[in-house]
Amino acid sequence: MQRWVVISVALVATFGLLFVFYKGFGTDPHAVPVMNIGTQAPPFKIKRLDTGETIDSAALKGQPMVLNFWATWCGPCKGEHPVLNWAAAKYKGRVAFYGIVVESEEEATRKWLAEHGEGFPQLYDPKSTIAVDYGITGVPETYFIDKAGTIKSKYANPMDPQTMEARLAEIL
Amino acid sequence: MVLALLAALSLAQGDYAPGRAGTEPLDAAREARVQALGKQLRCPVCQGTSIADSPSSIARAQLDKVRELVAEGKTDDEIFAYFVARYGDFALLSPRKEGVTSLLWLMPGLMLIFGVLIIVLQVKKKPKTAAPAAAPAAAPADDPFLEAVRKDLKQ
Repeated sequence: MQRWVVISVALVATFGLLFVFYKGFGTDPHAVPVMNIGTQAPPFKIKRLDTGETIDSAALKGQPMVLNFWATWCGPCKGEHPVLNWAAAKYKGRVAFYGIVVESEEEATRKWLAEHGEGFPQLYDPKSTIAVDYGITGVPETYFIDKAGTIKSKYANPMDPQTMEARLAEIL
Repeated sequence: MVLALLAALSLAQGDYAPGRAGTEPLDAAREARVQALGKQLRCPVCQGTSIADSPSSIARAQLDKVRELVAEGKTDDEIFAYFVARYGDFALLSPRKEGVTSLLWLMPGLMLIFGVLIIVLQVKKKPKTAAPAAAPAAAPADDPFLEAVRKDLKQ
């Protein structure tokens, strides 16, 4: 009888460990989880670079929105910028595109935009306050928010046209 | 050498993440709390470093957020909850002692108790005594061979 108790406990422990290993295999222990999918997008009031006006996110509800966090010193951001400009033009009137510039000097940002084009409004987050509110871990990161203000997905790599179209379809 | 020159050229053009000034420290008592909380929160872009110890820009921004929440009078639990809601339990350098993560704290103790139990059971178990060997069958008294041996020995 006692022997069966020991064997049962050993089996439970073994299968428990196997389950933990199974769940752990193939996952990156250094990857930061995305926790805010399906939640309301954090509100913000932030300066628009070209006009200087303050943009209140509460006034933006009612239309799907793409928020792209980027920085002037970020190479991949430079690579994806044409994709964002293209998508902003293609979906004009249906989706609101906003860039949120973090960890960058204001003057360097203006110079960068003059050089690479400003196909959609850019908002300036000098202390990365909005970035932390959104759970940003690096740049570029892009949030897709539906018209009810719910975060539908986040893409933490440079955007390509196919991914952009697929993600936009989820919020339209 | 070439890389160093390229890096210097890049910096001279402003193509770098600028050092952020951060928010002003709070008064001594509250700032000590900010730093203590920061020591318990994980920097998302570092290898196991707290946001209080990391020089990275995002960690500075997160520490600013801790400062802002402390200034608003939030409790420690509310501040941890803010970061867990955005970065998951990954944000905590020490896993919480509740839910599934409590197993992380309980398992070493349980495994130790289990091991001690096995040792105790093994020690208490009486060793099996070997069955006494069967007595050799008595030689028949009228064995002529044995009689011959005895006779030789007496001589």
